[in-house]
Amino acid sequence: MVSINYSAREVCCKIVYYGPGLSGKTTNLQYVHEKVPGNTRGDLISLATEADRTLYFDFLPINIGTINGFAAKFQLYTVPGQVYYNATRKLVLRGVDGIVFVADSQPDKMDENIESLANLEENLREYGYDINDIPLVLQYNKRDLPGVLSVEELNAKLNPRGVPTFEASATLGKGVFDTLKLIIRLVLDKAKNSNKNQRKPVTAASLSKEPAASPPVSPSAQPVPVTPVKEPSAPPAAASPSPAPVTPAPKPSPQPQPQPVSAAASAAPQPQVASPAVATESPQAATVGVAPKTKAPVAGTKPQPAQPAVSNPDGEAYRPYPGSTTGKIKQPVTSQEQSTASVTGGVRPATQTQLEKSNEHIIPQQQQDSDHVPIMAPSMRRRAEKKKRGFFKRLFGIK
Amino acid sequence: MSEDSLILYEEEIKQIEKIISKLLKGAEAKCGLLVDKDGHLITRQGFTHSLDTTALAALLAGSFASTKEIAKLVGEPEFSVLFHQGKKDHIHMSLVGERSILVVIFDDRTTIGMVRLCAKEAATDLTKIFEQIKENSKASAQPSISGEFADGAQDKLDDIFQD
Repeated sequence: MVSINYSAREVCCKIVYYGPGLSGKTTNLQYVHEKVPGNTRGDLISLATEADRTLYFDFLPINIGTINGFAAKFQLYTVPGQVYYNATRKLVLRGVDGIVFVADSQPDKMDENIESLANLEENLREYGYDINDIPLVLQYNKRDLPGVLSVEELNAKLNPRGVPTFEASATLGKGVFDTLKLIIRLVLDKAKNSNKNQRKPVTAASLSKEPAASPPVSPSAQPVPVTPVKEPSAPPAAASPSPAPVTPAPKPSPQPQPQPVSAAASAAPQPQVASPAVATESPQAATVGVAPKTKAPVAGTKPQPAQPAVSNPDGEAYRPYPGSTTGKIKQPVTSQEQSTASVTGGVRPATQTQLEKSNEHIIPQQQQDSDHVPIMAPSMRRRAEKKKRGFFKRLFGIK
Repeated sequence: MSEDSLILYEEEIKQIEKIISKLLKGAEAKCGLLVDKDGHLITRQGFTHSLDTTALAALLAGSFASTKEIAKLVGEPEFSVLFHQGKKDHIHMSLVGERSILVVIFDDRTTIGMVRLCAKEAATDLTKIFEQIKENSKASAQPSISGEFADGAQDKLDDIFQD
């Protein structure tokens, strides 16, 4: 499904190149990567074996620029073609928007083509997709080789659905762009006709202030046929795109305080672990969310008061990342400071002498306890108490 | 598709970012990403400027997906937490709701225990938000892209994809 992010103003589509092993799926991506200008594409990531056979997938992101205020992004994936890798092949199909089936035109590869196409249909079905419902383009590859089957023969065996086909030679680049352009067109056409769009990858840097003041993506004019597969929850009413879907108006304002939806809470009702003071005590924690926003916290940009030391289970104090909080390196904190901070809610404690000067009865019992060594064997404790008594006796001249 | 579609608007993204920021502060982690299982990046916070977050999102989603299959093979429905340990940097991934993955990248300034604790709290908060979003998206009509956009894209494609 085409993912539309109103916040980041992005439209993102996932296109998968499918086909039997060695049919040229990765070569397609390599050609695109090679020919497309560097500013419109990302790096080609290939999860391949030592022998350059695709192990999991190849991934090539393409950003063709801004259209009507929305950045159009396409993510091209290939699957491992070998039969052996069906488990991983299936995973790549998750959330697919359009498929290019790359068939090998050589006669002895025909069985593999047919088998792979059947496998595609089966894998799609497992995700609840219908191959007839997903934009699909057939690419007859390796047309430059001698003795290849004719397009008619290939069509007869591979294209009973009558989907668009292209002759191609991926190594030479012939037909590669034509295929890609057509599948993108089909994907966008389908999204246009579909009443559902969704997700929203957000590049934090591009967050706009308002969701979509000037709707670049306007509601499609035509009545939207409810897509066949999709979730049953799509109400029929949704078939008629309501006015200005992009504006904040139609959106039921989600209150940040959701009443806990108990029924749907199936998703990980994680027990709220009683967090140590660390997680809750920081006075900054409440204010962090808004500040960094789109950009990574930069050193020294946030004038914030010294935060209480955060300790790890080992009792050590951390230095924050340079600039991540206060912009200054935090000095190691003594255990005295830590224990006091946890009691006084993050207020930097008085120095030891100040504490001594102050009336002892004002200091919470907890704090007094925390000043002492907490755990001690009984014999050691007795010895320590005896020693302390001796000290006070000497101090006050008691015989 | 077999799943509900999901629309996130600005204010929801802000709520999500706030939670992730809080997580980063609490756990003293470097950066946090929220990725959906399809490989799309939802949002990111922290020191991400030096990262190729698009590729990262796709690979992390792939990693999570393959681990899910491994879980099935050993009789588990899903592994809800993944941890990759490196020499300097480590990655903690945890499932949020049914379709998102919370990724935290951290180094030795903090500990896995702290990250795990904070991530768990954040995941609980995020799950609530996603449930709210799900409710809202059911109630609202869902927009689609316009023909104008598709035509514009086609023109761009002709410009860019030239042999």
